[in-house]
Order: sequence, then C-alpha cells, then structure tokens
Amino acid sequence: VHSPVESSEGPVLTVYSLHPPKSCSSLSVLQHQRIHGIRPRRGDAKAPAQEKSVFGGKAVRLIRLHPLDPFQLETIRPIMELHDWILDVRWMSGDPHPFLCIALAHNSALLLDTETETTLFRQSCSEGCLLYSALVLAHKSWSDTVIVGGTVFNQLVIWKPGDVAESLESKSPVVRRLLGHSGVIFDISYSQNEGVLASASDDRSVRIWQIGNLGGNGGQCGNQNPVCLHVLYGHQARVFSVRLLNSKVFSAGEDGTCLMWDNGQVIQTLKGHRAGGVRALAISSESCEKAIWVASGGADGGVRLWKLGVKQDQVEDNEENLKDLKFPIVICTLDSEESTWSNCRFLVCTDKGGVYEYTNKKWELVWQGPPEFQSYCLMEVASVKIKESLVHVCAVGNICGSVQVFPVANPKGGICLVAGNGKIHSLIWQKGSADGGAWLLASGSDGLVYRWWVEVTKRELQVVEMTSFELPMCTKRWLTAAIRVHLIEDAAWVCGDRRGSLLLYQECQNATMLSGEEQTLLVKSTMENLANKVKIQELTPVSALFGVHGKQGVTSVFEHSGLFYSTGRDGCVRIFHSKMSESQEYILEVLRVQRACKGMEWLEKILILETKVGQEVKPLAAENKESTEINQLCLKNTDKQNVQEARFAIVGFHGSHFVVWDPVRQERLLSVLCGGGHRSWSLWTDEKGHWTENGALAFIKQGAVLTSERTLKEANGKIGWSLKEGIHGRGIGCVHRLGRIMSQRNACWEIVVTGGEDTSVTILALNPKNGEMKVLGVLTDHISSVRALTAVAKQDVGRTALSALVVSAGGRAQIQCYRLLIGCGEWGETSCQVIQVAAHRLDEQWERKRNRHKMVKMDPETRYMSMAVLEQTPDSLILALACSDGAVRLFSVSEVKHHIELLWESFHHQRCVLSVATCCLQDTQCNRHQLLFSAATDGQIAVWDFTSSSLSNQNPSTPIFTIPAHQSGINSLDIYPVCLIDFHHVTVASGGDDGQLTVSQIKIQIVDNSDPQNRLLINLVNQSCIPLAHAAPLTSLKLLNKNQIVSASCDQRVCLWRIGSAGIHHQRAVCSHVADAAALAVWEEEYDQKSGSSAEVVFGDGEESGNKNAGEVCTEKSDTEGAEEGYVLICGCGLQLIHVLV
Amino acid sequence: MGRSSKDKRDIYYRLAKEEGWRARSAFKLLQMDQEFNLFTGVNRAVDLCAAPGSWSQVLSRKLRGREEKGDAEVKIVAVDLQAMAPLPGVTQIQGDITKISTAEEIIRHFEGQPADLVVCDGAPDVTGLHDVDEYIQAQLLLAALNITTHVLKRGGTFVAKIFRGKDVTLLYSQLKIFFSGVTCAKPRSSRNSSIEAFVVCQNYQPPEGYIPNMSNPLLDHSYDVDFNQLEGPNRVIVPFLACGDLSAYDSDRTYPLQLDDSKEYQYTPPTQLPIQPPYQQACHLRRNNLLSKEDAPSASNNNPDSEKTTPGWTS
Repeated sequence: VHSPVESSEGPVLTVYSLHPPKSCSSLSVLQHQRIHGIRPRRGDAKAPAQEKSVFGGKAVRLIRLHPLDPFQLETIRPIMELHDWILDVRWMSGDPHPFLCIALAHNSALLLDTETETTLFRQSCSEGCLLYSALVLAHKSWSDTVIVGGTVFNQLVIWKPGDVAESLESKSPVVRRLLGHSGVIFDISYSQNEGVLASASDDRSVRIWQIGNLGGNGGQCGNQNPVCLHVLYGHQARVFSVRLLNSKVFSAGEDGTCLMWDNGQVIQTLKGHRAGGVRALAISSESCEKAIWVASGGADGGVRLWKLGVKQDQVEDNEENLKDLKFPIVICTLDSEESTWSNCRFLVCTDKGGVYEYTNKKWELVWQGPPEFQSYCLMEVASVKIKESLVHVCAVGNICGSVQVFPVANPKGGICLVAGNGKIHSLIWQKGSADGGAWLLASGSDGLVYRWWVEVTKRELQVVEMTSFELPMCTKRWLTAAIRVHLIEDAAWVCGDRRGSLLLYQECQNATMLSGEEQTLLVKSTMENLANKVKIQELTPVSALFGVHGKQGVTSVFEHSGLFYSTGRDGCVRIFHSKMSESQEYILEVLRVQRACKGMEWLEKILILETKVGQEVKPLAAENKESTEINQLCLKNTDKQNVQEARFAIVGFHGSHFVVWDPVRQERLLSVLCGGGHRSWSLWTDEKGHWTENGALAFIKQGAVLTSERTLKEANGKIGWSLKEGIHGRGIGCVHRLGRIMSQRNACWEIVVTGGEDTSVTILALNPKNGEMKVLGVLTDHISSVRALTAVAKQDVGRTALSALVVSAGGRAQIQCYRLLIGCGEWGETSCQVIQVAAHRLDEQWERKRNRHKMVKMDPETRYMSMAVLEQTPDSLILALACSDGAVRLFSVSEVKHHIELLWESFHHQRCVLSVATCCLQDTQCNRHQLLFSAATDGQIAVWDFTSSSLSNQNPSTPIFTIPAHQSGINSLDIYPVCLIDFHHVTVASGGDDGQLTVSQIKIQIVDNSDPQNRLLINLVNQSCIPLAHAAPLTSLKLLNKNQIVSASCDQRVCLWRIGSAGIHHQRAVCSHVADAAALAVWEEEYDQKSGSSAEVVFGDGEESGNKNAGEVCTEKSDTEGAEEGYVLICGCGLQLIHVLV
Repeated sequence: MGRSSKDKRDIYYRLAKEEGWRARSAFKLLQMDQEFNLFTGVNRAVDLCAAPGSWSQVLSRKLRGREEKGDAEVKIVAVDLQAMAPLPGVTQIQGDITKISTAEEIIRHFEGQPADLVVCDGAPDVTGLHDVDEYIQAQLLLAALNITTHVLKRGGTFVAKIFRGKDVTLLYSQLKIFFSGVTCAKPRSSRNSSIEAFVVCQNYQPPEGYIPNMSNPLLDHSYDVDFNQLEGPNRVIVPFLACGDLSAYDSDRTYPLQLDDSKEYQYTPPTQLPIQPPYQQACHLRRNNLLSKEDAPSASNNNPDSEKTTPGWTS
C-alpha cells in the first residue's frame, strides 16, 4: 500500500490514495479551528494503523489512519486546547509514551503527554517576539529538542528549550541567528542528510542555509556561522511553503506555482491552481520508482498531485541531423499508424522549392519544384486511408497560382493544378467522409477558393475540380481555415478567413449526402461539366459572421459533436453552431467566446481534452451490461440537438512560447520556447485533434528544423492529477442556486453559480448527500471582481435538465448575461453548455475612445454591488442594480436581441448603494405592483414603486417610502410579502455592517388612484432589531419564510432567527470555517416524491425571483410555518454546505 | 489605469493627499474624535506603530492647536520599529513595543508622568490566511495593550485597530478587564467592506492588584470549555458605533474626479512615498527578467551555441 495524501479544508481532513489518485475518506477533526498541519508518528512500521497529530489554531488532536482499502480515518482523543497558537508539532521518538514537542507563536515550546493530556515542560525563548513560522526538531528527550523560529523581525532564531539561563529570567537563550530576509518568514524546512535549512519569505525569496547538524542526539544547533548557500528568486509573489528532499528544494507561493530547484536553478515548474496561490505543499519519494510525488493545496480549495519522473538521457538524439537541412520554410508531420514520436515523420519544404522527408535520421529529397516554386511556397499534407494503410498526399503551392499535388511515396505521379494566376495564399486539406480521397482547397489571389476532390489510389491521383467559393470583399481576402460538415441533411463548409470572418458555404445541391460511390458519381458529373465548358457560378456564403475574430484573422475551425470551434489571433476561441433561420436558411450563431490567458493573443487551434480518471461517475457495471442502453440515450440526445461542449485545450503562442493551455484549470499543458509566432510548426500528439498529455512540437527557427522534448506520461517530465478541483482562488462574493437536477437513477446535483474576486463566475454541481463538488464551467468574461448574481431558471419535467438565464455583475460597471443548459445523464454525469447572451458596460463609450490614454477619465469607476430581478416577461428581464456611484439603476435584458439597455437611474441615495431586493404585489384587479427596496451606506432603506405600466414611460424620481434601519451600511436585504384580505404585509429583513439584524414589518394598501406617487399607502407597522446579532459585519441574510431568518457574518457564525410577536429570537448558531462570509444560498431539502413524503416546497434563494414576482404563489407560501430540513451554502473565503435541521 | 484612478476609487485617499495627511487613516481618528472627544483634556499622547505618521499628524494638529491657545504643555510620542520622516512637535522613538525599555523611554519623555491617551493603528504583515491574520492582529493589539498598562494613567483612553473576525469577542472580554467603557467604533472613512474597526477603550481601571509585566506577552483568552461562548448567545459583546458625520464623504462610494463644479480637478502627488517594501529586490529582478526560470527544453537542447544549462538529475 502506498502512502496516501492528506489534505485539509477548514477543520475537515481528507485522505486520498495515490493508486489510483482518488479521495477516500473525510473527517472533521478540529471543530471550529482550521487545520494547519498533520504530523505522522514515526515508529513501528508494522503497526496496523498510523497515529498522526493534527493541529491548527490553539488545538491539537490525535487521529488514526487505517491503511485499509480504502483508507479510513478515526479520531482517537478529544481536542487538546493550548494557551497559545501552535506553529509546529513533532512526535518525540524513541519513547514509548506518545509525547509531542510543540512550538508556539510567542516563541515558546512545550512538551505534551498525549495520554494524560498534561504539559510536562513549558519554556520560553529570551527573544519573546511573535513568530510567523517555526520548526521543531524533536529527538529522544526534551533536552535534545531544537526550535527554529521565523520572527516578526525577519530573522531565523535557533534555540533549545532544554537550556535554561538564570540570567534571562529562566528563559532560553538564542543560540543562532540567521539574518538576510527582508520580509517575514512563512515556512522553514530542514534536511538532515544535507545539513541544509530552507526558509520561505514574504520578500518572495527562498534562502538555503548551510547549517550543518540540527537537533538529533544532544540537540545540536548547527555551524557557528551558517552560510547562506543560495537566495532563490523565482516566484512572482510571496513564497508560502518550502520543502527539502535530498538536494532538491521545492517552493510554492502566492503566484500559484510550485517550483523545483536544484543547485540554485529552477528545474521544474508546476502550475495548476486558480488565483490565490498555493498554500500547502507535500513531497515524498518512492525509492523503488525513482519518482517524486508532489502534492499542492491551493487557496482555491483544490488539491493537485504530480508525479515527477527522473529525467533520463536523451533516448533518441536525432536533433543534430534534423538541423542539417538548409532554409526550411514549411514543416508538416505525417500521420502514421503507430503513432509514436520516435517514428514520427516530417516533411519539410525549403525556400529552394524542394520537399524533403526526414526518415532514418536523415533528410531525403522527395520532390524538387521548378524555379517558380522558389522563395515563396506553401505546403500541406493529407493522410488518406486506403484499405487499412495510409497514403500521404502533399500539395505545394507557389506565387503564380500553381499547386503541385503528389503522393509522398510516388512524387512523380503528381498533378499540377491551377488556382488563379497569382499568389496562392493558403492550402487546406479536408479528409473525405469515406476512405480513398480528400478535398483540397487553394485560396487564390483573386478572392476565390479553388476546390478539388482528390481521389487517391496507392500511387496515383485523380483530381476533379469543384465549384469555387467566392470570399466576401475585403482586404487580405483569403481563406485561412475550412472544414466540411453535415448540417441536417446538407453538406456544407464552415470556413474562416484572414479578415476574421466565419463563413458558411452550402455545397451545390447535387453534391449533398456524399459517400463513397456517390462521390465518384459526382466526380464524373463534374468532369462532364468541365468537358462541356459549362460555366459554373461561384458559391457565395449562405451565412457570414463578418470580422468576428478581428482583423488578425481566423486561424482554425474545428467540429466536435455538432458544435464548431474557431480560433483567431484575437486571443479568442469562439464556440458556435448553425441553426435554421425563420426563412429556412442556415445561419451561424456564436454561443460563447472563450479567451485564453492574458497576453496569449495568437491562438492557432484547439485540442479536445480527454476526460480524466475520476471525472466520470459511471459505475463499472454500466460499461458491460448496459452499454447499449447508454448508446441509445446518446442517440436520443443528438436527436434533440442537445449538443454539449467538449473540454478543450487552446494551442497558441504566448510571448515567445508555444503553449497548450487549459482554460478551465488555467494551466499550461505544454510550453515550448520557440521564439513566438510567425513560424511554421507542427504539433505531434498521440491522437489527432486530442491532447493526451503526450505531445511534442517540431518547428522552424533560425533557418533550421527543431523539435521540442516530448512531454511524456511516464519516465520523462511530469504527470499531474487533480485530486480535488479548485473553486475560486480568492473570496467568493456572490452565489445563486439555480435548482436541482436528477438522473434517472436518482443521483442528484444541486446547481449553483458563484462569482468572486478572481473575476470569474463558476458553475458548480454539489451533491448534498456526500458533499461532492464538480466544476461544470468557469466563465472568465468579467474584467473586475464579480459581486452580484441573479438567475431565472426553468426545469424540465423529469428534472434531468435545467435551463437558466444567469446575469452577473460587478466591478467596472460590467454586466454579463448567459444562458446555461445543464443536463444530467443516467449515471449522474453532468453536462453544461454556456451561451453568451449579452454584455454591457456603463463606460463603453469611453472604451471606444481612441486617444483615451492621453485623457483623464472624469467619470467615477462604478462598481455594481447587488442585483435583483424586478420583472420578468417572456422575452426580457428587468434588473435592478445597486451602484457604488450612488445610483440605483434599472436595466432590461433581452435574450432575443442579445441586448442590455439602461432604462432608469436615480441618485436619490447620494451614497454607495449596497443592496437591492424586489417583491411583487397584486391588487384585486390583478394589476401588478413591482416594489424595489434599495439600501445604502447610511443605513436607510428606500422603497420604490414600479408598476408594469410605468416602467416604460413614467418612472419615479423619489422613493415612496424610507425605512431607517441601521447606523451604517446595509449589506444584505431580503423581502417576504404576504397577501392578506385587503392589504399586503411585507417583512423586510436587513443586516448591517454594525452587526445588527433588523426586521421591519410594513403594511401596504393598494388604493385606486391614478397618481403614481399615491398609488400605495405604506405604514411601518413594527420594527424590531437585535443590535449585535453578530460580533462582526452581518454580510448576508435570507428570509426562509415570513418568520425565519438565516444570517451569516465575518464572525464565522451562521445563525437562525425566529421572528415572533415580541421580537426576534436567536434559535441556533453554527460555527463555519468560511472566513469573510459574503453570500448565502438557502434551500429546503426536497423529499423523494417516489417515497411519497411531503410535497416540494422550495424556500429561499433558488426560485426567489420566480415565485415572489409571480405574486399568487405568495399566499401559498405563507402557510409554511417553517422548514424542517434544509441546506445553507455559505460562501466567502471558500464555501461550505451546512445541513440544517430546524 | 493611470495615476488618477486611485483618486477615483478612494475618495479619502485623494482627500488625504489634498489636505497633506500622510495616509487616509488620519480621517479615521478625526471622525472618532468627533464622536468620543478623544482629545479633550489630553496633554500627553502616545502613538504606537506610528509609521507613516498620519495619526501623529492628527495628534499634533489637534493638541498643538489647542496648546497655542494657552493650555498646558503638550507632549506627543510616536513609537515605531522603523524610522519615519520627522514631524514637528512629535518625539519619535524607534523601538519595539514589546520591550520594557520602550515603555520606560516613553515615561521619560513625559518626565515621569503617565500618558492621557494611547492610540495604535498598527497592522501586521498579512499572510492571507484569515485565522492567522486575525490572530496576529490580536497579538499586536495585546502587545499595544501591554505597553499601555505601563504608560497610561488611570481613567485614560486607549484606541486601537481590530479585525472583526471569528474570535473578536475574546478580545472584547479581555479589554473589558482593563477599561470600564469599551466600544467598537467604525469611522465612516473606513470602508464598509473591510473587517477593520477600532476599539475605543475609555476609563482605564486595571484590576485590583494588577502589576504590569512586559517580560511575558499578554496572551489572548480562549473560549470556555463547553463552547457556549462559541456558538451560544452568551458571547461578550460591546456596543457598536458608527463615527463621523453622515454628510462626510462616503468611503465606499466611487466619485467622479470633478467633485464640484467650482474646482477643477488636479492631480496631487502622495504626501509621502511608500516605505521600502519587503519585495523590492524581487520586483527589481522581475522587471529585469532575472527571476530564475525553468529552462525550456528546446532552448537548451536545440541551440547548438549553448551548453546544456539544466543540471543533471541525481537519483
């Protein structure tokens, strides 16, 4: 059994096995304290279970790990609480008693007998300052113990708690001081074998000290004058952790990277966490495998695992000969049956017009073009399958319109084709749907794309000319990408051009549904046409998205299970599809834009990412017995056009690197220093169009063909797993529950969206039963922190799918709107398709100004603080936004028109508006009255009246009512309306920065009055408050029903309150490990309908906007006196799902 | 972004520059004074963790201004580990607030008299881990409280920054042992979104027989055993008070650069340049592309001119 990885989030400890990498067991260990360290007790290796001490805050606890399959955790003693913060804990060896040596934050140490839970010794250092980190070197006795402390004054101090100096008030003297860091020290590590101490600091460096012997028998304190061997600067931000393993140094920090150092040099970079950095690092080696395991824990809550192999000498060294060829200009790799890098073949075209192949470690001339192929030529290779073997066909184009096409194996059997009489701008091959041929597209100088069907036999070619495409008029009028696709029943081409346009060409009518013999038929008929000299009209695009990829052009188009993916040099991947317009024509429609990382503008293509182990939740039985059933389901899905987006990697240039980038994990899968764009390259992967962590790049640089080292799964380089996915690297600012989806087998997922300071919106699926969490999607369109989210969700009858219109808003006055389609398969596997609906920024005018770098922008930098749906019509949403510039604004969002429009604004508050909430009242004539509540930093709640009719024309300039509720800012508002016989009773709950919870009961009478200012009669009936409901700012609250409130605060308590006739009563409180709580989502447990228990009643967030605006539902809801069981999802620095029984 | 963007994001940052304060935090002390009349009758004041010196500036302007009117002699002492630019009328001590020698030096400056007011706006180097940061801030406050017990007169006032986090109630209970009036104050110039607040501790009344002791740090309290204080309603709480006039600028609001029509916006440079940050060297290396990087395989293996720079692996 291999050693497991343990990780902790808050007080919860989780153990993962490495073979295979997966989560095994979780246990809450430290109650309300966050775990900071886990220390195994070394000793009897044969013992069936390993004891470990787990510490955090002022608490330490012993647990036992049972090395069963799967691993199991068990606590063996109650929590031991100490008087000071614990920085390090070590087991004393050689003693039968379980003694722990503990270093505390005020530079003191103690010896704890865990059996009797008594402190045997306690000793302070004469340097009594605060430590940021400490390292305990424990041996056989207390007098052997040595402490290394990282002080608040940037020093390392070494002292022995066994040495007591009478002259220092019986404290222990400092034996050594290591000076050099210019920031506080976050972590310390020591390697016994090397006699080296490492320290990681706020100053972004790691220092390596030649310290000599520390600890051990007699408690040595190292060399008299320890030398600083290295100062390692490699991190872009602070360094939080350092570990030593033999001569290697591992460091990890705020920049999210883990670096491996040897001899002062970075030799490996591991990156795989979202913003916020790496907080925890663990290293282990397995001597039998000569591999190093690295596990890192991120501020995003993710746990990554890497296995680093030992690099061997170059297995094949063909690079030298590769460089022999002079002046290569184009390179292509040839696909082969056994696709391995070592037998990969290259074809290179030189500027002398020669085509060379690299085989058997030398270059051989395949074809030498005539003089007109010199200095400018293009080359593309297609691999055509004929009867189980691959034939490579090469096309070479030149500056005067000629295209030479020949089989690589028989260059003399080639044909010269003519594509206009000028420069050939591009050549594109597209494989046929059946074996034996391929299409060749050549983009000429006249804006025409010449096309041929190339029929391939083993050594011969037969070419048939096809109708040309005419490109839209523009400068740089040539084709850059094309694929042949089947739309509903027509063959078509999806193309991209140099102008950045995406184009759809429909194949001529008689050329539809081609396969095999039909193609030959077409070939013949076209030949006849040619013979008859019938002038064929060029094809024009049936649909064009002009210039969507910007002026730098489209670089590739790809099709995967019904969706199209295009890349461009604008740094974007566009995911699009074709649909039937009302006039029964095909049109292209962009669903989503995915940006690569900052600075990565030149994208070349995408590669589909394989689903990794552990991501699919299919039980094994499914694969055997019921695979047919699954297939049928899949078919049904495609029938419904229920296509889903694949996980993909982006291939492109980032600075001077060629990069394969994973946009979800924000991680480089491959990085080759090639000098940047403007060069011919060819990426070899295990499987064409896919990325399988096994790839290499061949490229041309400085007049030579070069290859990168391949990344390999096994011996060479690294392999990574994600044990737990990260959520948001920094604080989560808002959350919204969309609903629950269920599989046919009752696997169920709660779908929530979260937005955070890391400027991203994450779509999550939570399993409330076992706490499992999956990231369904990450939306990265915001340029500043995301502070508000709202959604209108619809579910299908079987609840296997969910469709939601989600709106996010935040800093830089930005609103983004998405349609999410989320589905659940039979086994609980989830899919998520994101469609970008619209976006809006208040300062769009400013962004368009050309000379803005010379001007000073006078407008305020508005942030959106909160958002609520005011009204919902079939084709639009009306949103209310709280704005930091002192305004309340209304926007309309039209999904059909893809448009967001500002409708109304009021600067009534004149202060930062922090929160908004809405409700809808209905009068006896069924007129609907939309009420908007807005609250600002002065503690006042304004009530605005918007009736449906007045939204378009006459809008209020002043609120109809104001409720004073708090002495400072109101962070959270929630409304619960109840319709009584002749008036409405509205409960307004508010939570403030003052920690106060206020409940204001207002009575609203609707009077028949045409004067908009006096339509509603409002009275504040009753106001009750708990002045210090929380010890810290109350940041979020929800009304569960008319008399129950859940509140959350930075004091890390989640409280449940009951509103009674005599005021508010504290019902319960739960300690949460989520610091800086900012948002809540609350929902009631839904009982299984099949088991016949209670009906579905949803309280809280999920269908808030839907239900409350519907008005009529309110009366029903008022009957529910209180939920019995529910969930609270609390978000802040991390998130936690709390199950609440009332 | 440009240099004016910070002016726009933070109105008090801009006002501080325009009014010549070294940091925006000056307004926080001014607004607390509005509510608590902190400076009434104060002749000897101590500013702990003073750098860059904005609170000392406030003390100086407020107390010295009164001195000119003929009141008693005013003495202000500013203590910090690092040196700061001199301020007229403020005596600076470069020292550690956990050392008895620092307390003695303060008393020496006051000619043996105890202080009337001790203020502390210090914040530690944050780690980003909330529980650790809250703990370290609490230790800083307790260190400030410890030295305060050496220098403050009975009945005197102590003002210090706190983070309102998970264990803030433990701090309150500790402060209540020494002061009869403890209030959590939030000046309007401190942002709503920040967990920062201030404890205004009035009427210093140390417990009977309490002997100030600097040789051991003052440790923070722990929750009682049955965790009633942790999740139950019996937490020690202190009143909360928002300080400052509502008509004052709103620190959460984003203002346009042109605040009123009469005065044209003009960029004001900061009163004081920031102190040397710990990451200065790292930033220098980064700017000059000198940070150590993993050598790209292609560069080391394919460039014939360069030797292999990647050291070999040893197993």
